[in-house]
Amino acid sequence: MDHPQTPRILAPHLQTFQHKIVRILGKVVQLRGETAVIDAGGQVDLILNRDCHLAVGHAVEIIGKVDQNLNVKVQAATDFGTNIDFTAASAVVDATHRYKEIFYDGD
Amino acid sequence: MSYQNNYDTTSYNNYGGGGGGGGGGFMPGEGSQNSPSGGRKEYKDDSLRPVTIKQILDAQAMGEEFKIDNTVISHLTFVGQIRNISKQATNITYKLDDGTGSIEVKQWVDSESVEQTNPATVRLIEGIYCRAWGKLKSFHDRKHVGAQIIRPVEDHNEVSYHLLEATAIHLYLTRGPPGGASGASAVAVNGGNQQQQAAGIGHNAYSLASYSAVAQRVYEHLRQAPQSNEGLHSQDIAAKLGIDTGDMTTAGDELLNGGLIYTTVDDQTWALLEAD
Repeated sequence: MDHPQTPRILAPHLQTFQHKIVRILGKVVQLRGETAVIDAGGQVDLILNRDCHLAVGHAVEIIGKVDQNLNVKVQAATDFGTNIDFTAASAVVDATHRYKEIFYDGD
Repeated sequence: MSYQNNYDTTSYNNYGGGGGGGGGGFMPGEGSQNSPSGGRKEYKDDSLRPVTIKQILDAQAMGEEFKIDNTVISHLTFVGQIRNISKQATNITYKLDDGTGSIEVKQWVDSESVEQTNPATVRLIEGIYCRAWGKLKSFHDRKHVGAQIIRPVEDHNEVSYHLLEATAIHLYLTRGPPGGASGASAVAVNGGNQQQQAAGIGHNAYSLASYSAVAQRVYEHLRQAPQSNEGLHSQDIAAKLGIDTGDMTTAGDELLNGGLIYTTVDDQTWALLEAD
C-alpha cells in the first residue's frame, strides 16, 4: 500500500512505536530551523523536512517516522489551526489503542 | 307513475353506487402503494454508518451486500486526507487516507453541470481533509466507494469527532448499547477486571461473557424490549437487530443451551428464563 497505516499516538507512545510511521496531533511550541518541538501529551521533538510550514501556537498533524532517539522525522505536516480540542484528540488516541481493531493492524 | 318514481330512485342509488365504484378505483392506488412498501424492508435497513477506512477495507462481502461488525451496511460516511486526485471524463477518483487505511472514492461527474464548477469541488486538493458520503462497491474484488457528496473539512475537530463517533457505533454494534447489563458484560468480555462489581450484575456479566456478540445482543434485546409473557419471535428480534436468520439461529441455540432463554408458544418464540 502506498499510504501505510499511521496510528495516532501521543508522546508517551513514542517508545512503543519506535521505527514506525505514526500520526501525531500536537501544538507547536518551538521552531528551531531544522527541528521543532510540539506538545502532544508531552514534548515531541520533530526533525523537519523542507515542505513543513509550522506556526508556533498552531495545532499541527504530523505524519512521520519515530527514530531510535524517539525523535519524529516528519514526512508530512498538516496545519490544523488554532481551534483544536486536544481533549477530543487525546480521546481519539485512547480509542485508537483501546479498540485498535478498527484503527490499525497489530504486529 | 309510481314505477317511474321507483326507477328514478333506483337510478339515483345506482349512480351513488357508481360513485362508490369510483372509490373502488382508489384500490389500484393502494396497490401501488404496496409495492414500495414491499421494498420497505430495504428502506428500513437503510442507514448511514460512520466508519474508519480500515473498517471499509475489512468489510465482509455477502453477495451484493457488505457487512461491518456483522451488520449490513448501506451508506457510509468517513473523513480522510486526499492523497491523489484523478480526473476522468465521467468521474473524479479521490484516494482518501485516514491513518487507518486508504481507499478510492469515485464521484460521478454530471455532464450537464460540468460548466458550473462546484465551489466545494475546487477546494478539494491533495493533502486536505474531507468528508465523504457514499456506498461501498466492489469491482473485480477491488473495493471503492461511490460517493454522493465529498466536501472539505472546515473545522479539523471534525476529524476527532468522526473517529470517536465511528468508535461509538462500532462498540454499540459489537457490545450493545452503553450502560445496563450489556455494558457490564462488555467490560467483563474486555478484561474481566471489574470483579468488584455488585454481585448480581457481576454474575450476569460473567455468565454472558462466554457468548457471542450476536447472542449478547439478542439477550439484551429480550431483556429490554416490551413483550408479553410469550416473549418475542426470533424473526422479530432478527428484524429489529438486523441479524440474518443463520446467525439468529446460532445465537438462539447458544442462549437456549445456556439456559438463559426458553421457548414459549413455539420453537421460535423465546423469553428470558430469568425475570428481572
